[in-house]
Amino acid sequence: MKDRGGSKSVAALGTAAWAAGILALLVALPLAARRGFDDRLATHWGALGQPDGSLPLWGAVLLPASIWTVLVVAAVFWRAARRWRAAVLLSCGVLLAGEQLAIVRANLHHADWHDADSVTVGAVVTVVAAAVAGLAGILASRRPTTPASPPQGPRMDIPAGERRVWLSRTTNPWLTLLAAVTGLVALAALLAGIGDPTKPMWLLIVPFAVVSMTVLACSSVRVRIAERGLDVAFGPLGWPVRRWAAADIDWARAETRTPAQVGGWGYRLSGLGTTVMLRSGACLVIRSKGKDFAVTVDDAERAAALLNSLTANPAERP
Amino acid sequence: MLLRLNIADNRPLHEQVAGSIRRAIAEGECGPGDRLPPARELSQALGVNANTVLRALRALRDEGLLEFRRGRGVTVAGGADGRSALLERVRELVADGARLGYGKAELIEMIKEAQ
Repeated sequence: MKDRGGSKSVAALGTAAWAAGILALLVALPLAARRGFDDRLATHWGALGQPDGSLPLWGAVLLPASIWTVLVVAAVFWRAARRWRAAVLLSCGVLLAGEQLAIVRANLHHADWHDADSVTVGAVVTVVAAAVAGLAGILASRRPTTPASPPQGPRMDIPAGERRVWLSRTTNPWLTLLAAVTGLVALAALLAGIGDPTKPMWLLIVPFAVVSMTVLACSSVRVRIAERGLDVAFGPLGWPVRRWAAADIDWARAETRTPAQVGGWGYRLSGLGTTVMLRSGACLVIRSKGKDFAVTVDDAERAAALLNSLTANPAERP
Repeated sequence: MLLRLNIADNRPLHEQVAGSIRRAIAEGECGPGDRLPPARELSQALGVNANTVLRALRALRDEGLLEFRRGRGVTVAGGADGRSALLERVRELVADGARLGYGKAELIEMIKEAQ
């Protein structure tokens, strides 16, 4: 835990230094070169590389700086997005600084902004560099999100000659309702299209049908723990299903999670791993092959205990 | 709900399955009005044939522990928890009696005299 705290403060320091550095660059670049051009800078270019938009010097300083400030504040304070913080800050920082550099360079030695050079090369280089920086950010932030802390989860004594299974089901009526409403809209659009075949409303039918199916699959979940392992079946039809063999599960435990922690309801990917969030409260959390999976179920404590007991010594089970 | 299947005893499998559901109801794993998992789900979890599970469920319905409802699946009947616990004890009594050489008729006589 201690070294995690240490790396956290290093990361915070790095984030602060990066944010301040980019901000300084965005402000200083046009100001340092202000003798090289008139009081207006070309800041937008058409498809053929000719400048077609301009800003006064103060605008060219303030606009990127304020975009950057908003971005940094959002990335730091939005907890659900912290997994992407490094990638977003790195790529956007490179993007803004690179664009600023390209703009200043194109405007140098031109009294009128209409005569500014093309920025195509600079823009392409900047976008590529930003993509590389974003990728580096993703790779760098992947490691610390999976701390190797094998907690000793709860256990359950299973007497010899007894087979134990655990079954549970969680439903979110609001998501079911949402699925029904969107499904009805899609159906109504389809029926209206039959009545007037000149204008089939695919733009209405397809998105609503897709949303309805997706929400329906996330509206209820069935969890089954047996000797084979853990099965999590989605939707009223019990399909799709995610399965984990007992041998693949490192540990299981119960945890309390809220939609705010994982970024909403449904099938969520966040810094905590995958969470199937149907209601706030008790979750069954498992670690398998270095990845965390959580599902909101009642009585998660006993589910975790049974799963730990089944995975501990599968050879001894009859 | 947690189901305990006693695979050591040599009763028929459908009776074992019925016994595990009866015990789950008696111990409050699922209360009156709760919906039971579908038979297919139970059979996959317990590793027994779906027909065996259905036979067990029908037996429990005949005992008054479960209700089969169209469209709602199988639910636990009202008051089933107490009844289930009592039935489980009666079964133990019959088994003990058989072991000691008392038939059901003799046990019934004993119960009548117990008042």
